[in-house]
Amino acid sequence: MIILLNNLRKIRKSENLMRPRKVRSLAVRHCDGGSCNGCEHELSLLSSPCYDFQRFGLSVVASPRHADVLVVTGSITVAMVDAIRRAYGAMPEPRKVVALGACALGDGVLGQDDRIIGRLDDILPVDMRIEGCPPTPEQIINGLTKLLEQA
Amino acid sequence: MTSTRLIQLSSSSYRDYLRTCLEDGGKFLGLYACRTGITCLVEGGSGSISALSCDTPDKKAPSIVDLAFNANWDEREAHDLYGIEFDGHQPLRPLVNHDSKLDTWTVRLEGEEPYQVAVGPIHAGIIESGHFRFHVVGDRILHLDPRLFYKHRGLEMAAESKHFKEAISYVGRACMACSVSNTLSYALACEDILGLQATNELSRTRTLLLELERIWNHLNDIGAVCAGVGMAAGNAIFGYLVEQVRRICEQVTGHRFMARSIQVGKSEIEVDGSTVEQVRTKLGEIRKLFESSWRDLVFNSTFQDRLTGVGIISQENAKLYGVVGPAGRASGLSRDNRSRDKSLLYRDFEVSMLKDPSGDVKSRFDQRELELNQAFDIVSALLEGDIASATCEVRRGPRTPDEQDCIDSDNSDTGRIGVGLVEGPRGSTLCAVELDGQIIKRVHLRSASFNNWQALAKCTIGNLLPDFPLINKSFELCYACVDR
Repeated sequence: MIILLNNLRKIRKSENLMRPRKVRSLAVRHCDGGSCNGCEHELSLLSSPCYDFQRFGLSVVASPRHADVLVVTGSITVAMVDAIRRAYGAMPEPRKVVALGACALGDGVLGQDDRIIGRLDDILPVDMRIEGCPPTPEQIINGLTKLLEQA
Repeated sequence: MTSTRLIQLSSSSYRDYLRTCLEDGGKFLGLYACRTGITCLVEGGSGSISALSCDTPDKKAPSIVDLAFNANWDEREAHDLYGIEFDGHQPLRPLVNHDSKLDTWTVRLEGEEPYQVAVGPIHAGIIESGHFRFHVVGDRILHLDPRLFYKHRGLEMAAESKHFKEAISYVGRACMACSVSNTLSYALACEDILGLQATNELSRTRTLLLELERIWNHLNDIGAVCAGVGMAAGNAIFGYLVEQVRRICEQVTGHRFMARSIQVGKSEIEVDGSTVEQVRTKLGEIRKLFESSWRDLVFNSTFQDRLTGVGIISQENAKLYGVVGPAGRASGLSRDNRSRDKSLLYRDFEVSMLKDPSGDVKSRFDQRELELNQAFDIVSALLEGDIASATCEVRRGPRTPDEQDCIDSDNSDTGRIGVGLVEGPRGSTLCAVELDGQIIKRVHLRSASFNNWQALAKCTIGNLLPDFPLINKSFELCYACVDR
C-alpha cells in the first residue's frame, strides 16, 4: 500500500492540476442508452488522477434520487427507453439532462430502425450536448462545468 | 491462414457431421442464422475452419446444444432474430427480445427461503446496461439469470447489403473497448474471401494495435478488480496507467480507442521513427510504474484475501462452456488464437500460463499480469523504425460466386464465406462474413464476451452476492460486444 500511495503522490505532483477558484456541486447519474462502451470508458476516467473531476464539485451518485444531472449515452435503444424515462422520473427537481457523445446527439448513428430511437432529444428534454465519439474526459468535464455555471 | 471451407448439409446430416468434427478434435466456434438457413462454424484439429451450412425452409433445425454446450446463446439469438426453432433445445428461452413474463426467461423460484434480487438495467456506477436476476438465500447465490441485449442496436442486420468497405464501420461501432479486435477479425474475414494476404508491414501494424488494445484493457481490468473490492488507491493508479496508454493510442492512430484504424486490405497509419521511439520510451515508463504498483498489490494480504477461492470455474466447466481468453487460461485451458495465427506477427508465440491455475478471481487477476508483460514485450519489439502505410498482396485471385472451385468434395467450396479469428483482450473474437460480390449478405460478430457471459453466470453459484461485482470485474466482459 505504501508504494501505491507513494506512486499516487508522485502522479499528483506531476499532473499539476489547476484548482478552480469557486467550487459548487453537481451530482451526476449516468445511464447507458445503448452505447459502444466508449463513452463509459471515458466517463470512468474522470475520477482518475489525470482529471480528478471532484475538484470541480462533480461526483457520480448511485441513484437518480440523489442526482442533479442525468447523463445519457448511446443511440437510445428501444429496450432502454422505459428505464431512461423512469430514471428521469425518479430525479428531484430541478433536474438537467445531458446527451453525451455523438450517438445520443443523433450524429452518425448506426443500427436498425426498429431497434433504436436514434437520439436522446426524442424522449427527454436535453439541456446540454457534449459532442465527440467518444468525447474525451476533458470535453466531458468542460461540458459538465458549463452546466454548473448555468445552475 | 487457410481459407474457410463452406460445407452445405441437409438438416438431417448436419448434426452427425458436426459430431464427427468434434470427435476428431474440432472446436465449436459459433453459430448464426440468416434468412435462408443456419451456419455453424467449427475449427478442425489442424486449425482449418469449416462452415457447416444448413438450409431451413421450414424455419426448423436440430439443436446442437448437447454437442456444443456454448451454442446455447447462439441458438437463442438465432431464434429471436430469424425465428428458427431448434428441435431439442428445451426450453428455448428468449435472449435478444425481452419478454415481460418472468417465467419465459428465468428459472422459476421455488421454496420458502429463496428470494430474488433484481439488479439493473441501470446500475449504481458507470456501467453498461444489463439486468441480473439472482436467486438468493441470505447472501448466498443459488442461481443467476442474466438478461443482456438492452443495447441491441441491430448492427449486423443494418450492415446487410452494404459494400464490404462500408460495413466495417458497423462492426467497429459494436464496441469501443474491443474496436481493434472486432474490426481486425472483420478485415481478416473479408481478406479470407477476397484471397488477400497481409504483407509483413501490414501485419506488423495490426499486431502492434492489437497488443496496444490488450495493454490498456488489461490495465483497465486490473484497476476494475481493485474497484471491485473497494481499493481506491489501486483503482486510481490503474486509471492513470489506462489514460497514459490511451494517449499513446491517440499518438499512433489519431484516436484514443484506435477506432477506424483497421481497414480491409490495407493500413494508412504512418508514424515517423522519432515518434515511434518516443512511444517506446513512454511505454517503458508505464511498464515500470505498473510493475511497482503490481508488486504492492501482490504483497497486500487484505486485498489478496478477497480474491482467493472466489468465483471458481473448474477446468471441467471451463471446457464445457468453452471459456476463452485469460479467463479460460486461468482455468488451465492454454488455447490462445495467437499461437495458431498466421496472418499477424506472432511467430512461435506461446502464452504464459500460471503454474497452478485454479480458475478463481485470483487466477484471472494474475493471468492478466502475465499476459500484460508479454504484450509489453511484443509491443516493444515491434516499435523499431518508421511505421509506414501498407497493403495486402493477392494470395489467389478474387473470385465471384460463379468462379468458385470446389476442393475436397463436391459439396464444399471456398470464396463465399470468410472467417476471421483474433485473440482480443477478453479472448477469441470471431467474425464471419458472407459476400455476394462486394456486398454484405451476412456479417456475424461473436466476441469473447458473448461466449464467456454464459460461464460467468454459472460460476457465481455458491458465492456471496456482495462478491458478484468482484467476480464480474474479474471477467470484465463487454455488454456492447454481446448486444451489438
